[in-house]
Amino acid sequence: MTSRRHLMIIAALMVTAVTAGASPAEAEKRLRTAVDEVLGVADDAPNGDALSSRVRPVLERHVSFETMTRRAVGFGWRQFNNEQQRQAVRLFTTVVIRSYTDKFTPGERPAITWQPAVSPASGRVDVPTRMVYAGSNYHVTYRMEDVGGWRIADVTIEGVSLVANYRSQLDATFKKGGAAAVLQSLEQSISRRP
Amino acid sequence: MNATLLPRLLLPAAVLALASCATAPADSGAAATGDDALDDYAASDAVADPLEPVNRAVFRFNDMVYDFVLRPVAKTYECVTPKSLRSALDNGFDNAKYPVRLVNSLLQGKVKRAGLETEKFLVNSVAGFGGLIRQSDHVSRLADLPAEDTGQTFAVWGCGHGPYLVLPLLGPSSAREAVGYAGDYVLNPVNWGMFQHRDTLQYIPPSTNTLRALPEQLRTYDNSRKDAIDPYLSVRSTYLQNRNAAARE
Repeated sequence: MTSRRHLMIIAALMVTAVTAGASPAEAEKRLRTAVDEVLGVADDAPNGDALSSRVRPVLERHVSFETMTRRAVGFGWRQFNNEQQRQAVRLFTTVVIRSYTDKFTPGERPAITWQPAVSPASGRVDVPTRMVYAGSNYHVTYRMEDVGGWRIADVTIEGVSLVANYRSQLDATFKKGGAAAVLQSLEQSISRRP
Repeated sequence: MNATLLPRLLLPAAVLALASCATAPADSGAAATGDDALDDYAASDAVADPLEPVNRAVFRFNDMVYDFVLRPVAKTYECVTPKSLRSALDNGFDNAKYPVRLVNSLLQGKVKRAGLETEKFLVNSVAGFGGLIRQSDHVSRLADLPAEDTGQTFAVWGCGHGPYLVLPLLGPSSAREAVGYAGDYVLNPVNWGMFQHRDTLQYIPPSTNTLRALPEQLRTYDNSRKDAIDPYLSVRSTYLQNRNAAARE
């Protein structure tokens, strides 16, 4: 009886270990697919506008913009109604994609060195990389989260998280004027540039 | 910058930084906790900003100076200087900052890192013609060494940022980082001529160092403003997150 119980405990531990080990690998595989697809699109795009429109469906497949927007807004998110939440996700998606595509230089392709992925919490995997792009070195960490499948939930460049950066701005905007002010500020940000 | 003016400018910051060593970092309230378990963004760029109205005014002043003075200077420098020369200057001045990295590695108790910094300095100085070529990039253990500085040393010693500051011309900082900047200035051999008998020639190394670093610094600054909803808050968050990450490395 005792030995059977021991066997069951060992089996349970093995299953746990396999499951825990599989997560970072799956998340990293998903990320590499996303990066390959984005770079494939970037190689073919003749200019920034074309890149922005072509890369959007690829990013929407691999990035959880809903998670990003919720985190960027922070505590105030619960006070948005459903329509305001949908609108915020749509606007923030545009802001992020534009910001992302602006970082591409035509003709340049990054050399990426993948470093071991870590799982700081259940449902989350961080994939650190070292990137050489246009002659400069960058430390870029992709934060992957299991939201019914692994998706990119944040990107940190040289220690600066995209979500945390917008959080500092949108949280302050929410405290001044609520959900309406957040939506208005996102719309203004989009309309400031063509 | 004038060597005697710098300590005077930074003295108030030194007092504030000393005070900040005894206090925990304040939460600006800018990043409240979200409503899901994986939301850990609450303290990523928390800082006290009691001088915000003054800081915003200096921020606007700096923007004007950057746009109308420094940006044209940086563009002219990039136009008239070949890329290979710019790269050599960047490498040379970075190599010369070795004492900053060495002293701060040791002050943080990172003896192995201090050894690697010394190895990197020797490799670049000897095989890279005085540091003009970064031969250390071809040695894997030396290629990606995080650069230590005095602000990071204060952070490792447990000093909080103290109040956030926007310094005239220099831009975003905090009480701790402003004092750290003074420490880096003193430790950098490029500036040592400024502390001795002064003549025109002694201004050349620090002025050249400032000029060659300007284009990259403006690009970094522009990136943190671009697509911002509130450029002041975006630059503040970018600066603090970057410095906090550097201190953790």
